[in-house]
Amino acid sequence: MDVYPILAAMRRNKVGAILIAAQIAVTLAILCNALFLIEQRIALSKRPTGADEADVFVIDNGWVGQPTDLEARIDGDLAALRSLPGVVDAYVTNSYPLSDGGSTEGVGTDLDPNRALTLAALYFAGPQGIPTLGLKLIAGRNFTPSEVVSMNDYSVPKAPVVIITRQLADKLYPQGDALGKPMSMQFTKGMSTIVGIVDRLQVPWVSANGWGSKFNDNSVLVPFKLVWHGGHYVVRARPGQLAAMMRAGEDKLFAISRARVIDQVRSLPQARADIYRDDRGLAVILGVVCTALLTVTSFGIVGLTSYWVAQRRKQIGIRRALGATRNGVVRYFQTENLLIATTGAIVGGGLAIALNLWMVMSFEMPRLQFGYVIAGALVVVVLGQAAVFWPALRAASVPPALATRAA
Amino acid sequence: MLKMTHLSKAYRTEVVETYALRDFSIDVREGDFVAVTGPSGSGKTTFLTIAGLLEEFTGGEYLLDGVNVRGLDDNRRSRLRNEKIGFIFQAFNLIPDLNVEDNVDVPLRYRGFNGAERQRRIRDALGRVGLSARSRHYPSELSGGQQQRVAIARALAGSPRLLLADEPTGNLDTQMARGVMELLEELHRDGATIVMVTHDPELAVRAQREVHIVDGQVVDLAPPPRLVTGGGAAASAATGT
Amino acid sequence: MMYYYFGLAMRSLKRNLVLTALMIAAIGVGIGASMTTLTLFRAMATDPIPQKSRQLFTLQIGNWPPNKVTVATGDEEHLQQQISYPDAVALMNAHEGRRQSAMYHGGRTVIPANSDLKPFEASTRAAYTDFFRMFDVPFVYGEPWPASDDANHSDVVVLSRELNDKLFGGANSVGKTVDLDGRGFRVVGVAARWNPVPRFFDLNTDKYGKTEQMFIPFTTAIDEQMEMWGNFNCDGDVGTGGWEGRIHSECVWVQYWVELPAAADVARYRSFLTNYAIEQRRSGRFHWQALTRLRNVREWLAYNHVVSDEARILVLVSFSFLFVCLLNAMGLMLAKIMGRSGDIAVRRALGASRGAVFMQCLTETAVVGLAGGLLGLGLTSLGLFGLRALLSDEISRLSSLDAVDITIAVVLAVVATTLAGLYPTWRATRIQPAWQLKAQ
Repeated sequence: MDVYPILAAMRRNKVGAILIAAQIAVTLAILCNALFLIEQRIALSKRPTGADEADVFVIDNGWVGQPTDLEARIDGDLAALRSLPGVVDAYVTNSYPLSDGGSTEGVGTDLDPNRALTLAALYFAGPQGIPTLGLKLIAGRNFTPSEVVSMNDYSVPKAPVVIITRQLADKLYPQGDALGKPMSMQFTKGMSTIVGIVDRLQVPWVSANGWGSKFNDNSVLVPFKLVWHGGHYVVRARPGQLAAMMRAGEDKLFAISRARVIDQVRSLPQARADIYRDDRGLAVILGVVCTALLTVTSFGIVGLTSYWVAQRRKQIGIRRALGATRNGVVRYFQTENLLIATTGAIVGGGLAIALNLWMVMSFEMPRLQFGYVIAGALVVVVLGQAAVFWPALRAASVPPALATRAA
Repeated sequence: MLKMTHLSKAYRTEVVETYALRDFSIDVREGDFVAVTGPSGSGKTTFLTIAGLLEEFTGGEYLLDGVNVRGLDDNRRSRLRNEKIGFIFQAFNLIPDLNVEDNVDVPLRYRGFNGAERQRRIRDALGRVGLSARSRHYPSELSGGQQQRVAIARALAGSPRLLLADEPTGNLDTQMARGVMELLEELHRDGATIVMVTHDPELAVRAQREVHIVDGQVVDLAPPPRLVTGGGAAASAATGT
Repeated sequence: MMYYYFGLAMRSLKRNLVLTALMIAAIGVGIGASMTTLTLFRAMATDPIPQKSRQLFTLQIGNWPPNKVTVATGDEEHLQQQISYPDAVALMNAHEGRRQSAMYHGGRTVIPANSDLKPFEASTRAAYTDFFRMFDVPFVYGEPWPASDDANHSDVVVLSRELNDKLFGGANSVGKTVDLDGRGFRVVGVAARWNPVPRFFDLNTDKYGKTEQMFIPFTTAIDEQMEMWGNFNCDGDVGTGGWEGRIHSECVWVQYWVELPAAADVARYRSFLTNYAIEQRRSGRFHWQALTRLRNVREWLAYNHVVSDEARILVLVSFSFLFVCLLNAMGLMLAKIMGRSGDIAVRRALGASRGAVFMQCLTETAVVGLAGGLLGLGLTSLGLFGLRALLSDEISRLSSLDAVDITIAVVLAVVATTLAGLYPTWRATRIQPAWQLKAQ
């Protein structure tokens, strides 16, 4: 189709064309960045913990008063939980994945305080930790019962043996020979031997840029049993028994003693939903805004093009009388929109990249991948074509006889 | 009342300058009924738009009711138009959203009359054109002749000094046209000053005087056929060159 | 005349309902989206204690060696958000400010006298008596405990209204006793609802969360070994020897606030802090030049990035969206006004000045803006409802619409629409009255 007459007509309707192009440009800039953010947030909320989460739940237990026989009571609770028919295993700990609370150690390969290599989360676990969470041990061995140390003072005991994640192992020993090697804990001034490596175990903190984001998979399992007036019982239920065991576990504990406070009983899937709620919420909100944005933009195109059609009815009638086909009229408006939308998309692509660069500087966001700009540009151009179709059809239905009548 | 001397109006494009009016002079006295005639493109519509202060002119002088309008700003021109001129268009130009009453009300609003005054004037104007019963109708519910009578009522309502009519019967059939002409003649008898642009010689003869324009200039002044007792008014003249 | 323009606007809007509806919808949706996020943002960015935010100060002391891997907070000065117990005690004893309080967040188990209720954990703030007057905490019954109770480590408690409702059915409980972990605490007062948002005095957990359910003297909490529920950060030695060893370590876990009414007080306190740090080095506790920092409420909130990046991004996105909506409305208005150029030309011929045409069109756009603003308000409530469903309880607490938000929405809609309408309106005033005649 010859573009020249379209451009000539557009010159007389400059502002309208600029308005549509500007709308498309800003729409594209928002769309690319929002889609990128949505993708990131969803990816974040799907990151694996390394645990087989589906059948695991946690009971937050606290003792009332100051009982002196804490260790016996905790052992009793764990034995009772393990004895439930629907329970596979259970252990007591300071922290668990997706809990958003725990402790951190500076770890390295020797005790020089200036040579700590990285930060890592500490998870207390006896031999039951790995099977209960369903972690994948890829090298070495699990803890043995004799290695378990009770932690019943404010000072953290030294751990002779530890199990660490593959990522931490690679960080400490980049040659891949971490197993059997020493690991230092800077805060407790202790040296431990790495006896096992698990494939993956996420730290308890999950935010994109907050605490823990720089060492997300650096976790250390230490063979401690938490003997404390508060703690988490982590329990694995048999498949399909999760809900029943959550109720039965709480009832069982209260049956043993009422001198306790059970703050919450929560499954890991629920913990995941809770901790990522704002991330998923943000993704949904951005999704809604994007949908509204595209709707508004397309209605804007429909509205303005309809007006142009109405304004040019006489002109269209004359063209029809002079031999333009219906298809020719439809093509005219589609080409016109394509020119405007493409201009808008080119400006919008630049705007999208500028907006992203600004966000990279202000919000520690990653760089926008160029694919998003291309995809977004395609979306807005196709949308423009779809939006202009109905007014174009209306234009095509202008009868050639209109030319013979007065305006 | 309306006096133009050596007036000119040029349209300028990048290449050429064309004159729509050139060295144009005319004098319309109070109480005159002047028909302006001429072939298509002679400049009669340009004359009307300038006379009605819708457009500016490029040279010469124009006195409207004693006011020199040369170089007046847009607001002053709007004000003068509102107070001194009543327009009657070929296509009636009623506002389709407004009913008869509200259409007549439009210039009165801009004039700043209070509610009671506007009501009185609307009633009077509609009474004069014989449409009192139709005051709540919308333009689309009226015949062409009725619409033009509403337009005349709208032109009259502000008691203008001068009525400017542009082919007032151009869009009407013969019978309706006759009715509208009779109304104009009646207004004239009551003392209104009317300038009417038309290409129809039959209508032109019904005016008191005819001014013929060709190529933007007045070429011929027909003697006033009926005004014998008009005294000094007969001497009104504009000399073409 | 305004009334006349308003009538004309209504007629004109009625004439092209589809176009009008599109304009109002575009503005409404834009206002709805931007107000939803702005409400959240305003709640986050709000000054929690406006009457005193420039007189209340918190402080930081660089009590950790500056060269460790424990750059835990990511702060470039390696400063911690809280201070250690030894520093807190020393500063309380120095009593340099007009009012001051060390404080921390913990919990006690309440054993209700009414045996129908199970024992439950209640969040507890340990503080000095100055806490209440310094922060203007309102009381329903009673009053803060006297300073002597701080000195005597007394078993006294100030309940929140909520907890008082639960334990005493809302009655005046002053003088009554509450069993906390097996010890009787005498109620001295009941605080009225007091939930500053953000919870500026302790941003370590639940920035937008609720204030604790009760308050006990700091000195008593230490005797009782009340466990810390907030952050407890150590740079190495956790200390040996149980509770005593732990609290006397260099671990940081205490928040400290001081009221300094005048600029001179602030200057004096600054030099006091500097001298304190120098003194600690001289005495051999620090082997480095310890930094000290004093920040007021506003500075503290900014330093802690209390307005989340998410909120900022949402505001940015939704205001860009509003911009698109306005461009859209502008295009439609232009179409609408230019579609009426015939009418406008007639009005001009009948004597309407440019100013009159301008006012007429502007009134029309303002009416559209107003309608869009009202629709936007409805959509904002809907949007906030959606936020509450989607976001965590902590953030949901921020999503209520107040009178200021409503005013902002309506004003924003009318002003933005009118601005967007300026160009089309200007175009309308350029319509030549002669146009109508020439078109014949």
